[in-house]
Amino acid sequence: MTQAELLTIQVTKTVDARGTACPGPLLEAKKAVGTIKPGDIMEVLSADEGTKVDIPKWCTKQGHEYLGTMEENGYYRIFMKKR
Amino acid sequence: MEKKKLCIGLYSGSVDKLTAAGIILSGAVADDMAVDIYVLLQGARAFRKDVGDNPDKLNMAENPELKAEFLQSLKNLKVRTWVEFFRECRTISEVKIHICGLAGKIWGAEKLDDFIDIADDICGIGAYITAAQEADVNLFI
Repeated sequence: MTQAELLTIQVTKTVDARGTACPGPLLEAKKAVGTIKPGDIMEVLSADEGTKVDIPKWCTKQGHEYLGTMEENGYYRIFMKKR
Repeated sequence: MEKKKLCIGLYSGSVDKLTAAGIILSGAVADDMAVDIYVLLQGARAFRKDVGDNPDKLNMAENPELKAEFLQSLKNLKVRTWVEFFRECRTISEVKIHICGLAGKIWGAEKLDDFIDIADDICGIGAYITAAQEADVNLFI
């Protein structure tokens, strides 16, 4: 998705993992994805550089759809759709 | 689909290596792996009830002079302790923790109740080797 498309996306669940370092954001994402329905969109907020690599790879392995990443001031918004 | 299996031989009782094991474990459970951890020798001492998360009772095998800096950095970064990692990962995927019986005896802990409450059973080396043979990924820490 383009950055403009990501801005208009309807997010079902936001996981704010900015207070934790790796592997905190991945663990938080794993726990949160179990609470949403297939087709729902989740965003993970993380200030950890590794997360923007980890989450897309994790999505691919788990069968979720990675939608894209937006860089904000000092953190990332990583978007995915649950399978 | 059957879960992929990770088998860890956790020999070390060094606080940094225990933390590393917790971080690796986190990645494995996020990936829905089934994990068997076999706690060997100095690892079994760390799992004793009176040791566990107590940093004063854990050493840092390499560069012991960096232990205080390491622990303070973990705190600043809000990284879980090694026991917290293990405990949380058990709620996410199948994580079984097996204590080597001989290792326990070496450190004066013979019963399951002598170890922190995340240990599942006490076993012999045969169980470890069998799990290692059956695992998709093997690590020795």
